[in-house]
Amino acid sequence: MSSTTGIDGAAARVLEVDGLIVRYGTRTAVDGVTFQVRRGEVFGLLGPNGAGKTSTLSAVEGLLKPQGGRVVVDGIDVERNPTAARARLGVQLQASSFQSELTIEEIVRLYAGLYGQRVTKQDIADRIRDVGLGDELGKRFKSLSGGQQQRLSLLIAVIHQPVLLLLDEPTSGLDPQSRRQLWDRIETLRADGGSIVLTTHSMEEAQAVCDRVAIIDHGALLVVDTPAGLIARHRDDPRVLTVARGAVTLEDVFIGLTGSDIRD
Amino acid sequence: MTDATSTGARPAIGLIRSSLLRADATVLLRSGRTLLLNIAVPILYLVITNLHLGHKGRGFTYGSTGFTIGLALTVGLMSSSLMGYATTITHDRDAGVFQRLRVTPAPTWAIMASRLLVQIAADLIMTVVVVIVGGIIHRTTFGAGDYLLLVCVSIAGGAMFLAIAQAVVGLVRSAAVVDAIGRMFYIVFLLTGLLGSSGILGSTAQEVAGWSPVGAVTNLYSGVLDLAQWSWTDSYGLIAVIGYTVIGAVVGIRWFRWDSR
Ligand SMILES: Nc1ncnc2c1ncn2[C@@H]1O[C@H](COP(=O)(O)OP(=O)(O)OP(=O)(O)O)[C@@H](O)[C@H]1O
Ligand SMILES: [Mg+2]
Repeated sequence: MSSTTGIDGAAARVLEVDGLIVRYGTRTAVDGVTFQVRRGEVFGLLGPNGAGKTSTLSAVEGLLKPQGGRVVVDGIDVERNPTAARARLGVQLQASSFQSELTIEEIVRLYAGLYGQRVTKQDIADRIRDVGLGDELGKRFKSLSGGQQQRLSLLIAVIHQPVLLLLDEPTSGLDPQSRRQLWDRIETLRADGGSIVLTTHSMEEAQAVCDRVAIIDHGALLVVDTPAGLIARHRDDPRVLTVARGAVTLEDVFIGLTGSDIRD
Repeated sequence: MTDATSTGARPAIGLIRSSLLRADATVLLRSGRTLLLNIAVPILYLVITNLHLGHKGRGFTYGSTGFTIGLALTVGLMSSSLMGYATTITHDRDAGVFQRLRVTPAPTWAIMASRLLVQIAADLIMTVVVVIVGGIIHRTTFGAGDYLLLVCVSIAGGAMFLAIAQAVVGLVRSAAVVDAIGRMFYIVFLLTGLLGSSGILGSTAQEVAGWSPVGAVTNLYSGVLDLAQWSWTDSYGLIAVIGYTVIGAVVGIRWFRWDSR
């Protein structure tokens, strides 16, 4: 696990989000969020429903134009040069789909092309087989199970060996086996030098795969630290102690800091 | 494994374009029923009008071959470029298909242009089939020049209905409402075109109808089939088509939203 202090120079950072503000009409979804992600790091964005996680990622992806702040991906300003930034990003959106008339083979071919990869039919078949979908080549996206859909989305997200991978709730709806498999994939990607930002509602997952996590709520960033560091830092926080049952866990810290109210 | 461009480089636009076109064409061909319907409806119209009106020469008079085939082609353009296009776009927007495409390095104009091009290509296939069938039913033969001119009108008319559809999906987000508006336009356009141009409602109505989307395109079709008789009505038709296309495109591009939220 990497240290929490001191980010060494711009080259070491693969993502810089600085004072990000995202509004939908009058509603402020992201309110001055600042954080950095290091090269080779798995960074978790945690927060209750509606906290602003997806909105933050959307600004990084260039899907929306932020009302304030700056996003720099691998040294490239997203607003000034969105195409170059997108070429460096691999993305799995929280809610997205592919043309329902296309087979998964055709979907992979399309996205390979969009990321500038010239691939043969054999390449495509190999890659699909690699993620265990070899028997589904001719199927439509809609007819895949949830876990299979997630695996295909992830395959497409990494099809061009992105510098930074953004995964929005990649394991929601997955069975424990598929979840473990995805964690393994994330480990492999990191071992190959990739950097990953993921959102999750599972504290277990954050603890298992993230080097550092940020907790955001109501569009504001509350803390950034390693999971262990967060627990250590807030072990004696009265808000945390009132919700803890036994030894303080990351979930206790999360609920302590963001409150027990249910969000709409 | 691949001769990929180095990670993070801007991919070649040629590859992006061909990938999009290939996918969009596949999608269109897969929706076989829609495709068939877009051709079957105008042909059905040709058969019915033939029963009632018979064969009355090529020029622009109600019931003439030129007018009938022109209206059939216009109906075909409306089915695919107005209704079909608007439905697909709202569906893909709701499903998040566009958001996924937009996070790739593909320029947004390329994503849209590919869909438009494929639609226009479908319109051209429809045109050729309907004109061949129309020629058989109405016992007329068309020369290469006729086909060329009809195809040109189909491009212009298809573009106009696409622009109108683009304006509708730009201003309205809900798929159900887009669908309802599409149907309403279809019927209103058809009635103004059909009744107005027929002259049943008087010459003023006929003139007004000539400026309506369906009236204008129908006039253009019958105009190019009988160039010797090219009239002011046909020129007005051309102006109207260009006007609707420009307005629709400006509104449709200016207010288009890629997600439905
Ligand atoms: N397109 C939009 N239009 C209007 N409001 C939006 C839009 N997208 C998000 N919001 C609002 O912005 C706030 C933040 O939403 P966001 O999707 O970023 O939250 P999130 O942290 O990803 O939540 P979840 O865990 O439920 O996915 C919410 O209040 C949401 O209702
Ligand atoms: Mg979200």
